[in-house]
Amino acid sequence: MVDIENPTSLINKDYESIELVIFAEWIEDFERLANLGVGLILEPGDDVYLIQNQLDLIDLIALDFSNFDDGRGYTQAYLLSKRWKYVGEIIGINAHLDQLQFMIRSGVTSYQLLESYKGSNEEDYSNGFSLCYQAAANNNGLNLQY
Amino acid sequence: MYKYSEKDTQFLVERVDQFEKQLNRYLSGELDEDKFRSLRLRNGLYMELHAHMLRIAIPYGILSSNQLRALADVADKYDRGFGHFTTRQNIQFNWIQLPEIANLLRDLTDVGLHAIQTSGKATRNITADPLSGLTEGEIEDARPYCELIRRWFNLHPEFSWLPGKFKIAINGAKLDETALRIHDLGLRLVKNKKGELGFSVYVGGGLGAAAMIGPETASFVPIEDILSYLESVMRIYNLKGRRDHQKKLRIKFLVRELGAAEFSRLVDEDWQQTKNDPELKLNLKELQSLKEDFELPIDPIDLKGFRDEVDFNYSIWKKNNVRSHKVSGYSIVTISLTKLGSAPGDATSEQMRILAKLADQYSSREIRTTKRQTIVFPFVRKDEVFDLWKSLEEYDLSSPHQGTLAQIVACPGRDYCDLAKAVSIPIATRVQERFNEMNKLLDIGDLNINISGCENSCAHHHIADIGLLGMQKNGEEYYQITLAGETLHETNIGKKLGPSVSSETVVDAVENIVNVFIDNRKSEEKFTDVFKRIGIEPFKEKVYG
Ligand code: HEM
Ligand code: SF4
Repeated sequence: MVDIENPTSLINKDYESIELVIFAEWIEDFERLANLGVGLILEPGDDVYLIQNQLDLIDLIALDFSNFDDGRGYTQAYLLSKRWKYVGEIIGINAHLDQLQFMIRSGVTSYQLLESYKGSNEEDYSNGFSLCYQAAANNNGLNLQY
Repeated sequence: MYKYSEKDTQFLVERVDQFEKQLNRYLSGELDEDKFRSLRLRNGLYMELHAHMLRIAIPYGILSSNQLRALADVADKYDRGFGHFTTRQNIQFNWIQLPEIANLLRDLTDVGLHAIQTSGKATRNITADPLSGLTEGEIEDARPYCELIRRWFNLHPEFSWLPGKFKIAINGAKLDETALRIHDLGLRLVKNKKGELGFSVYVGGGLGAAAMIGPETASFVPIEDILSYLESVMRIYNLKGRRDHQKKLRIKFLVRELGAAEFSRLVDEDWQQTKNDPELKLNLKELQSLKEDFELPIDPIDLKGFRDEVDFNYSIWKKNNVRSHKVSGYSIVTISLTKLGSAPGDATSEQMRILAKLADQYSSREIRTTKRQTIVFPFVRKDEVFDLWKSLEEYDLSSPHQGTLAQIVACPGRDYCDLAKAVSIPIATRVQERFNEMNKLLDIGDLNINISGCENSCAHHHIADIGLLGMQKNGEEYYQITLAGETLHETNIGKKLGPSVSSETVVDAVENIVNVFIDNRKSEEKFTDVFKRIGIEPFKEKVYG
């Protein structure tokens, strides 16, 4: 157990449990936290530009997509993944099934759904698109047509 | 005429399948009201006072006759036999049943029509000058650019959940028929000193309660760099736009709060990081191929010796509805759907089929829609204009109103819209009844009257010569009057005349304003010319006495 405020944790893509810190705490104390090997939660309103030069200190970044209509997470994902080439895992948390295509194509590398989608049939949500019209962070196997 | 490829059509089908799943989950109770709202709007579906309204995109206002026939079929099969052409060149159906929507949309995919992003907080259908490619002196035909930009922002993963809606207009002509500076983003095709083509960009225009004219954020963006520039604008908006205040969602509020200079600086800073990314360059090969697809379907013809028919009614109609074409031997014909008592922009399925048939016969199977809610036939041979008029007469479609004040733009207002504060269509009817003498209308000449039923300004009343805005005072319907709005030569928001007037007196007020104009007009002066010369006072005196 590392020494952080309000500890939460999640399971990363390698099935390891990883401790998460919130943005304000990271900004305050990133030098110490970096040594502990923590992940960071970004809320939509957190200024992602402030961590641009600290990316190699962060093991994992969790973007919070709980608010269905708040699209800032997509730009955060794009900046981290395509522009700044962050190599760690970018995990979309509190994700909505209807928005997976947008998250993944913006650069999110894995996701954890909101509780409320437990038991949903993912088939009902799949998009089945055969092409996309723009080069984004990740074209997710779609044919690019523009 | 440009047509979607098989792949594009396949995409439309896939989008309908996706929407159908969303709809089914809503109907079964699995999807809650809020999320469904967000999803359905992105596919043009509004839940209205009496029924459900579905908006279908007419990209840059161009329809083939087959597409128009398909819309007529939709009107009969799924609505009450009519559709409504909007000021953003789209078409809306007002009486749609939820469970039928997927079938309706599937019917339309066959002719390449869809409802993608016709509403909701994403980039909307792109508007262009309805006369694109047709008139002399154009800088460049905007349509291929419209199409490339439309594609790029189709379900764009980063920009599909913006703070508010995002409307783009593109103009390639010298005069601005698109009203680009009252759009969230306006693009004007320009040439630089070296003769290279690019865009000047205006961001943050919009009407509504806080009407604003978009400032220029870049004076020249080379055409191949436009996608990355647009992405940068949307990125700054997505991150910094107001999401906390329902009435401040549009980008105009962000631009105003930051100041145009700071906003432009932020966009530019972002753009410097991406403008050289080869993936974001406009696909010039595709542009070339689109230019070929959009080539005019006609060649010049020599009509030496042709003399047009002489007929009193025909010449009145012709004066207002026919304009010259850049291709010799051809004319551009506008058809007004305006009828006393019917909603401006409404067309019955029968009218749509007649128009489609006439377009087959007289206009190379192409039809355009305009922001004045009229229909344009873009390719009519000069020696067939009379025959076309005869046919229009026969079907009661030869209204000479276009180009007169009787061609009123009005939103659905309280008759159909649950946001309305007042009626719009009945006021339009009363104005038309007051000015029902053709000689008088011809004498007054072209004068725009636009009527919105609330501050959302769907009818663009701010940019009309005479704008009427419906409001409530002590439970009664009142109208605020604005004068001398314009976009064609320069962009100006109409000035408030004074206190709002009651529903009973509003038509008198309009007549008084028109009379001040006529009494003061010199030779060829337009309403805005007179207004600039004499100021607002004479109008005030006459209306408020
Ligand atoms: C009855 C159904 C309608 C509803 C509920 C509706 C609702 C709205 C709302 C809420 C806005 C303001 C959005 C904002 O500023 O964020 C708006 C704007 C607009 N609407 Fe509608 N509308 C309807 C029908 C129409 C029709 C029939 C037209 C075309 C004739 C139209 C054209 C427009 C335009 C052009 C704007 C943008 C005005 C601006 O630049 O600010 N709407 N509408
Ligand atoms: S202006 Fe107001 S009343 Fe008219 S359609 Fe728009 S929202 Fe409805």
